Amino acid sequence: MSLLERLGQGHLSDATFARLWTDGAADPHLEICATCRERFAAFSLWLGGVGDAMRDEADEALTPDRLAAQQAQIARRLETLDRPARVIVFPKAARAVISGHSHVRRWVTVAAAASLIAGFGLGQVVPLRTALRKQQAAPLTKQITVERAKEIPPASTPLNDEELLSNAFARSHVSTLSALDDMTPHARDTVLRRRK
Amino acid sequence: MAGSSPALVAAREADAVAASAVKALQAAGEQAEARDRYAELVARHQRRAGRIAYHYVRDAAEADEAVQDAFVKAYQHLATFREELPFDVWFTRILINGCLDRIKARTRRERWLVPMSARGAAGDGTTAERDVTERVAAGGLSPEQTLLGRERRREIAAALSRLPERQRSVFVLSHVEGRTSKEVSALTGLNESTVRVHLFRAIRKLRALLAHDIAGAQGELKGRRRVTS
Repeated sequence: MSLLERLGQGHLSDATFARLWTDGAADPHLEICATCRERFAAFSLWLGGVGDAMRDEADEALTPDRLAAQQAQIARRLETLDRPARVIVFPKAARAVISGHSHVRRWVTVAAAASLIAGFGLGQVVPLRTALRKQQAAPLTKQITVERAKEIPPASTPLNDEELLSNAFARSHVSTLSALDDMTPHARDTVLRRRK
Repeated sequence: MAGSSPALVAAREADAVAASAVKALQAAGEQAEARDRYAELVARHQRRAGRIAYHYVRDAAEADEAVQDAFVKAYQHLATFREELPFDVWFTRILINGCLDRIKARTRRERWLVPMSARGAAGDGTTAERDVTERVAAGGLSPEQTLLGRERRREIAAALSRLPERQRSVFVLSHVEGRTSKEVSALTGLNESTVRVHLFRAIRKLRALLAHDIAGAQGELKGRRRVTS
């Protein structure tokens, strides 16, 4: 506070009013200056009005209905604190399948595993496949082999590259593709042309 | 600022009795009785808690949730409540911490979202204007008075939102809730003299921000004097 204010020659500022209001202190100037007293009263009124407006705003937002609902909600929440959370039972069949506790599923799994192991073990112990093949194929194969041996031309000595190539060119063609074959330039012609 | 009036002292005594009873019932395992007794405390502090939460979070639904959380938390931790501290001070501290956590969470959330400038306006105005006719009928005020009052409240809220966090907290607690500097100090964890400094700065800044509002208050004061004389 300035000396002038103390002597009553200057009026109090808003900051001084704020300080006086905050601290709840008295100022000697207020006793002698009617203007400042009036201003301070207006300041207090304004500040009170701000508080009222803020309270009104909150009360308007928080209606009695909302408060009643809030109270009920708090009571419900407090009740649930005592009880552990209730777990809603999942449908039995789905739960059994998901968790793998289904009897059917368990038996199917066990049976499949057992069959696999048994089959593998048996396969190791008994050479079933070869034994069966030998049994069935023995008389027949001999006959067929002899017959086929007659049909097959005797193996010739390996040809050189040119012979192999000309053999390949001379092979019969599929009749439906012959038209297409005629239109296509052949390597054979090129080779022959080069020879000439 | 309001001091400790006899009514307040009596209310605090009643709170202390109720809180002790709830604690004893909880310890004895009589949960239903404890809840019933705690409902008294809820009813007594609910509105005040709602106001504080509302001025922190500025949203009715969120304030509602903050109050619920605070009451549930206080009930759960009532065993740690010491009787030398008033129940309302202890509880308000829980509430304020919850509100501050919510504000922090909201700030984090909004950092990743598109700013919703319309949201604040909707929170302040839209819901309020929606049922203006209902309130006019209920409060007996003319539509003009209601709208002016609402406009003023909006301006005050806007000015308040421009205050730094601590100044706003101190102003709301000491001025709106009528707490003493000592109580605000206990609630906020600030030094008592720091509380006074924050309050002084908050008032000074609000005064500057709401300069036109003061002229209205002076006019009102003169009007009152004329009526009384």
